[in-house]
Amino acid sequence: MEKTYRMTQAAAFESLGVMRKFIEDACRAARISEEISFDLQLCMDEACTNIIEHGYAGMNPGSIIFEMEIAPHEVSMFITDFGHAFEPRPAPQPDLSDVMNDEPVRGFGLFFIYSLMDSVDYVTDELGNTLTLKKKLG
Amino acid sequence: MEIQERVENGVSVVSVSGMIDSLTSEKVRAAFLAQINAGAASLVADLGGVNYTSSAGLRALLAVMKAVRHKKGDLRLACVQPNVQKVLEMSGFTSIFKLFEDVDAAVASFKAG
Repeated sequence: MEKTYRMTQAAAFESLGVMRKFIEDACRAARISEEISFDLQLCMDEACTNIIEHGYAGMNPGSIIFEMEIAPHEVSMFITDFGHAFEPRPAPQPDLSDVMNDEPVRGFGLFFIYSLMDSVDYVTDELGNTLTLKKKLG
Repeated sequence: MEIQERVENGVSVVSVSGMIDSLTSEKVRAAFLAQINAGAASLVADLGGVNYTSSAGLRALLAVMKAVRHKKGDLRLACVQPNVQKVLEMSGFTSIFKLFEDVDAAVASFKAG
C-alpha cells in the first residue's frame, strides 16, 4: 500500500531542518531503516539547497513543494520549485587533489544525490521544475 | 546548534552539537576561524554531538582546514558519528583529514606531529 506525504515550505535554509524531520518521521512510521532515512534526508537537503541558492537567485523568495511517496519497495521524493531551471547533471566525486588552492570545491551535493539515489529525473514545464528522486527499499 | 570552545594541552578543541547544514555551517566555520584569528594553529573538531552534516558542513571544514594549514597548523576530527563518517568517506574527505576516536587521542596527536 502506498502512502503519500506532502508539504510546502519557503525556499529558505530554515526550511531544511523542517523537511528533514518530515522525512525522518515518515520513514519511522513506515519502518524504513535509519540508513535509508538519512540518505533521503541528505539528498533532499542537497537538492533544496541548490534550489535556494540557484533556483530562486535574483528572484523574490519562493516556495518548495515536497512530496514523498512510500511504496512497499521504493520511496519517491518529488521536489518542485518555481524558480530558474537548474538541471541536475551527474557529478563525479569532486577532486580534492589540489585542496589547498583558493578555488572552492563544489559539486558534492549532486555527487551525493547520484550516489545515493537509484534514479534521478528532472522535468521543467509551466507547472514548475520537479526533481524526482527514487530509492529502492530492501 | 551549540558550539563550545576550550583549550587542552595547547590545542583548541571546538565541540559542536546539532546538525550542520546550509543554515548552521557558517556558525561552525566562524567559530573555528575565530580560534585561528586568536592565534590557534592546532585545532580539534569534537563532532560527537553531530549526527548530520550536508555538503555545507564539508565546505565549512574544508575552509577551516585551508585557513589553519596556511598557518602551518592543522584541523583534526574527533568522535565522528556514523552518518557523518559516511559523508566524509563518500566525499573523499577521509583522505585529507585525520580522524580520531576521541578528543584525547586527537589532542595527543599534535604532540606526535
